[in-house]
Amino acid sequence: MDRQQEFVLRTIEERDIRFVRVWFTDVLGTLKSVAVAPAELEGAFAEGIGFDGSSIEGLARVYESDMLVRPDASTFQVLPWRGERPGTARMFADIRLPDGTPSNADPRNVLQRALSRAAEQGLTFYTHPEIEFYLFEEQLGPNGQPIPVDNAGFFDHVPRGAAHDFRRAAISMLETMGISVEFSHHESGPGQNEIDLRYADALSTADNIMTFRTVVKEVALERGIFASFMPKPLALQPGSGMHTHVSLFDGDTNAFFEAGAPYQLSRTARRFIAGVLKHAPEMSAVTNQWVNSYKRLWGGAEAPAHVCWGHNNRSAMVRIPMYKPMKRQATRVEIRSLDPACNPYLAYAVILAAGMKGIEGEYDLPPEAEDDVWGLTDRERRAMGIDPLPASLDHAIHLMEESELMAETLGEHVFEFFLRNKKAEWAAYREQVTPFELEQYLDRL
Amino acid sequence: MSRTDLIKAGATDSARAAALLDELGDWAAPDLLELLPQSADPDQSLLGLVRLKEADDAVWRPLDGAGRLRLVTVLGASSALTDHLVRRPEQVADLAEAALGDRAAYVDLLRADVGERTGTEARDALRVAYRRRLVQIAAIDTSGSATDLLPRVAEALADLASATLQVALDIATREQDDAADARLSIIAMGKCGARELNYLSDVDVIFAAEPADGVDEAHALEVATRLATEVMRICSEHTGEGTLWQVDAALRPEGNQGPLVRTVRSHQQYYERWAKTWEFQALLKARPVAGDAEVGQAYLEAMQPFVWQASSRDNFVEDVQAMRRRVEDHVPRGEAARQIKLGAGGLRDVEFSMQLLQLVHGRTDDRLRLRSTLAAIDALSRRGYIGRTDAAALDEAYRFLRALEHRIQLSKLRRTHLMPTSEAELRRVGRGLGFRETPEEAVVTRWKETAREVRRLHERIFYRPLLSAVAKLSDDDARLTLEGAQDRLAALGFRDPKGAMRHLEALMSGVSRRAAIQRTLLPVMLPWFASEVDPDQGLLAFRRISDELGGSHWYLKMLRDEGSAAETLARALAKSRYVADLLERAPSAVALVGEAGSLTPIDREAIITAMRAAAARQDDDEQAIVGLRSTRRTELIRIALADLSGTIGLDEVEIALTDLTAATLHVALEVAIRSVEAGLDRPFATDIAIIGMGRLGGREVGYASDADVMFVHRPRDGADVADAQADAEAAIAFLRKHLSSSGPDPVLGVDADLRPEGKAGPIVRTFDSYAAYYERWSEGWEAQALLRATPVAGDAQLGADFIELINPLRWPEGGIPEQAVRQIRTLKARMEAERIPRGGDKRTHFKLGIGGLADVEWTVQLTQLQHAHAVPELRRTGTATTLQVMADHGLISQEDADQLRDSWTLATRLRNASVLWRGRPVDALPSDLHDANGIARVLGSPVGTGHQLSERYLRAARKARKVVDRVFYGVVADNGWDRNPTRR
Repeated sequence: MDRQQEFVLRTIEERDIRFVRVWFTDVLGTLKSVAVAPAELEGAFAEGIGFDGSSIEGLARVYESDMLVRPDASTFQVLPWRGERPGTARMFADIRLPDGTPSNADPRNVLQRALSRAAEQGLTFYTHPEIEFYLFEEQLGPNGQPIPVDNAGFFDHVPRGAAHDFRRAAISMLETMGISVEFSHHESGPGQNEIDLRYADALSTADNIMTFRTVVKEVALERGIFASFMPKPLALQPGSGMHTHVSLFDGDTNAFFEAGAPYQLSRTARRFIAGVLKHAPEMSAVTNQWVNSYKRLWGGAEAPAHVCWGHNNRSAMVRIPMYKPMKRQATRVEIRSLDPACNPYLAYAVILAAGMKGIEGEYDLPPEAEDDVWGLTDRERRAMGIDPLPASLDHAIHLMEESELMAETLGEHVFEFFLRNKKAEWAAYREQVTPFELEQYLDRL
Repeated sequence: MSRTDLIKAGATDSARAAALLDELGDWAAPDLLELLPQSADPDQSLLGLVRLKEADDAVWRPLDGAGRLRLVTVLGASSALTDHLVRRPEQVADLAEAALGDRAAYVDLLRADVGERTGTEARDALRVAYRRRLVQIAAIDTSGSATDLLPRVAEALADLASATLQVALDIATREQDDAADARLSIIAMGKCGARELNYLSDVDVIFAAEPADGVDEAHALEVATRLATEVMRICSEHTGEGTLWQVDAALRPEGNQGPLVRTVRSHQQYYERWAKTWEFQALLKARPVAGDAEVGQAYLEAMQPFVWQASSRDNFVEDVQAMRRRVEDHVPRGEAARQIKLGAGGLRDVEFSMQLLQLVHGRTDDRLRLRSTLAAIDALSRRGYIGRTDAAALDEAYRFLRALEHRIQLSKLRRTHLMPTSEAELRRVGRGLGFRETPEEAVVTRWKETAREVRRLHERIFYRPLLSAVAKLSDDDARLTLEGAQDRLAALGFRDPKGAMRHLEALMSGVSRRAAIQRTLLPVMLPWFASEVDPDQGLLAFRRISDELGGSHWYLKMLRDEGSAAETLARALAKSRYVADLLERAPSAVALVGEAGSLTPIDREAIITAMRAAAARQDDDEQAIVGLRSTRRTELIRIALADLSGTIGLDEVEIALTDLTAATLHVALEVAIRSVEAGLDRPFATDIAIIGMGRLGGREVGYASDADVMFVHRPRDGADVADAQADAEAAIAFLRKHLSSSGPDPVLGVDADLRPEGKAGPIVRTFDSYAAYYERWSEGWEAQALLRATPVAGDAQLGADFIELINPLRWPEGGIPEQAVRQIRTLKARMEAERIPRGGDKRTHFKLGIGGLADVEWTVQLTQLQHAHAVPELRRTGTATTLQVMADHGLISQEDADQLRDSWTLATRLRNASVLWRGRPVDALPSDLHDANGIARVLGSPVGTGHQLSERYLRAARKARKVVDRVFYGVVADNGWDRNPTRR
């Protein structure tokens, strides 16, 4: 046992911790938790905790049904929201095969593989997400519709608003858990909030997003409201996205920066963007993985449903933020299609892979979109070479199924599982008779 | 000095040398007769003297004899240092008095030269002071014996570099106001850490720092980082006085991504959590050389435990092997032949081997915890981990290689590890190492010999002491304890080191001649076992075979004398349970590995001849079958050995196994007819032919394939039809019973289920009955089974007639009708839904899974049924070759054909490899990683790549499936691409 593990065991004793939750993520991005009594923890460090992988979404047997979760002592955190004593703590875990090799089915491993392929070219991938979500009253409305906690607009300071308190509490809890928060403000929909996580390497960011989603939900519950990362909870209000700023570093230098180039974007950056754009339709099922995701994407306004890029163009899928002089390390591109209900490990893996493909394949960047693309007709967009993102999950599944890039990046196992699961979701959705249909047809037909 | 004297002294251009000598006049000249022959390059020495005289003609006179020798030899050995002395003639004076110093001495000397300077002045002064001491080291080195002096010179170079780092830190400290807030220690790694530095290389370091009392840690680290950055810059930047060397801090935690400076605690945390095996190996050399001594000591104490526990980490063995491969892979191809450091038998080989042994045995033996390579060789030998003679030879080889490297680097003070190519350069290096006769050739010869010697020693050093632990091989040998031997066996990949020790003991103990030969064989064979996936199994099987054959003279002789026999055997046993099992049951077949050309499969006629002979030796018919089956076993071993050793590919394996099965059926049928006839009071009434179906008909038999057949007979003229049917059935019953009864050799299942009416129909029909049956046919799809039919045994004429009979059925005029196509597709779809065995995974099942064998074969067969009438080349029974014909005739795109073939070939090879690895048939991708490793290895992948196997197969199968969907099922691809989503 190493000292970090000893430290964990000592802390558990000193702080009277009765349960330790071991966290990992399934293929769909749901946080999974195995509770371990402190007495079993020593064994868990040494040998891992065996569990039947076939019971978890997407972790079915690759080599053996029995897999191991091995807690990573360095991620030990006492959970701040479960009262003081007796306390609860958590650790992230990697999923391993019985012989200790990483499991192909572990989304964390998918991202690690993508990162190490980039590392072979000397590149590191950094990401910075802006996570939007809604806060709703605990009680649903009379027709089962969610009721936002307030009616404020963008950047409004709501006096003694629930959301304001909420953000302060959530941020302080995140900071307690070692997650730095960059910025937070009220978004444009009623009850909608945004919190930005600080720039970090993609793996840490993905871990932080997992913690973030849990913390936000917990804090909301403590306050008698609830939080949702659903991409489009209210038909008439903006959806929640997870715009992510990305950049590649070559050692200590930002590989996206080139002094004097248009928008200070290096050739590497332009090819990266070209890769992300070209492969955007086929990776859509991963970056926007739910039936509901497509209702956000096709909701107009700032939702990015078209494969194009622009400088400060908020209708484009990829936006180049304004370059600030002397901030070469901050040169980055913003990918706006992601939503906060994605599996962040897989989503970042496919974006990186698409960008790297652009770099390796020396893709040319298509011309910049200067107009609001929503203002164009379908025909105009086609004439300009601007493709749409898939219009539904079904379309996204079809496109992904044909994609070698997705299969290679996710690995055959996750690829197959993911498609199977998403087809089932689509089938279940299609079976519904919706209020829309009842309203439209019941009387008339 | 005459021109003859000059030539004798080693000058190559005597006319020019004489001219230079004239220029010197009586300056220096009187001594040169004696001095020049000792120079590595007398011409260059002379030229250097002339230049020096021009620079300052007062430098020569004060030098004593030793000083003059040092000057002349250093001028000869290094043009770079000559340039330096010409610029700084005042440094010539102290050459005579100079001695090799240690770190403390060099720190004092450098500090005295640099003084309290800062800025560019300080940097220039440090460079001049450094070279002043470097020249002295080089002068001492070149005027003595390179190999004898090597350890001391390498230490002095490391100490000088360490002192330089200290003085660079002094300078940086003077330049930073708040330097006192941080206590920075510079830890040397690599060759500098081990005090075995060469003349020019990067100096590897790690920085550790602690806050000074009362200083905030974050601030202290910021100060320390500034200091460290400055130290690196002071050493590496180019000033008016040039540069020193690069300081490389990439060995630090997280490499170049990590912070430059960490606290001791932070280092510790990193190694506790993240570090990889190679990083622990690197720590072996860590030594604080500059800055705060207490911090350095604390760092060292915190790190040492990691180093010595590294060998008990998970995956230590795999990591070490992978590291080795990486090193070898990194040698640029064009340089491999000239590499002194990284090539096979190079410096890295020696260093790596010693470090590995230190890590393995240093866990329990703290006297091995040393940094330098030569010290490690000595300690390993003293403590009995490697043999004395081997150690001495290794020490000599290492010294030579290092001295060679030094001489090459010295010439231009370049960082190089490549053997020079120019003759002049080779000559200088050769003379520098003491070769006087044709030095340019002698040095190359000696280098190549040394590299060979290192490679040879490498294996001896690892394996021989293991064997000495159980049986004393010679007085000189190492005295590894049993525990030590077990540690090492485990490190080499044996999973049951105790068991391995027992086998070794059993093989080598005793005074018999046999034990004596094993004692010489095993040191050579053990590495082959160890480099395969299952060394334990290999060694056990080898022990059993040797127990069985022990006394046979030919056996040990063959292993000892026949080229690659021992290697072929050892690797096959450690790779393949199938071969190990067969050989354990038929040890005499081991002889196959020793016969020249014996690993080429023999053809069908030759097998038939051999089987007939084996059968004829027996009176009893049942014994005759046993005889031919043992011939079959020998041939299976031959084919498997050839397959494992890579001498034949999949096509040849399949053809060989097809021929073997056909021959077995043929001769067994002869015996069966003879046996039945013996019990009759009349002649045997019918002729029988065996038609191969499935893989047998397609000449694509695998190790575990049953023989899929149909039997046909034709009553002989005048015979009673009922008698004929009875005789045929009796003969076939005899054949099936005796080929499939269990025995000491693999059974051959004979499966006739593809006959008309399947299991419900008679096992054999007459030719006429077949004709009548086929006459009644209307179902096109029934012809599918006949596509692969080929006569394989029995009456040749009857077989040929049968084929004539069915040709119009399987290649129907005009192709099969659309309705039959639909029927075949439906049947296939139903099979997919129903056929996968319970618990099986439809993705991993080789035969019936998605994109598997059946998918590909049905696609091919459907095409044949539709188009063979029009495209005669399609009238063939194989799968892979037919795919190519389909592509050639545009019935499928080349890309689709390739994807189908890839999946089919991979599934077939995986099936075969699984049988070889596990000794029994396997239907799906292995669910156990050890099996995956074994199977991947049989397929020719490096050890330890099994986890890639499933990814590789699933990918091939998925792609094949897409083709099957299109080509077989006729599904039109719909990508769901809605291009007008907003309807505007």
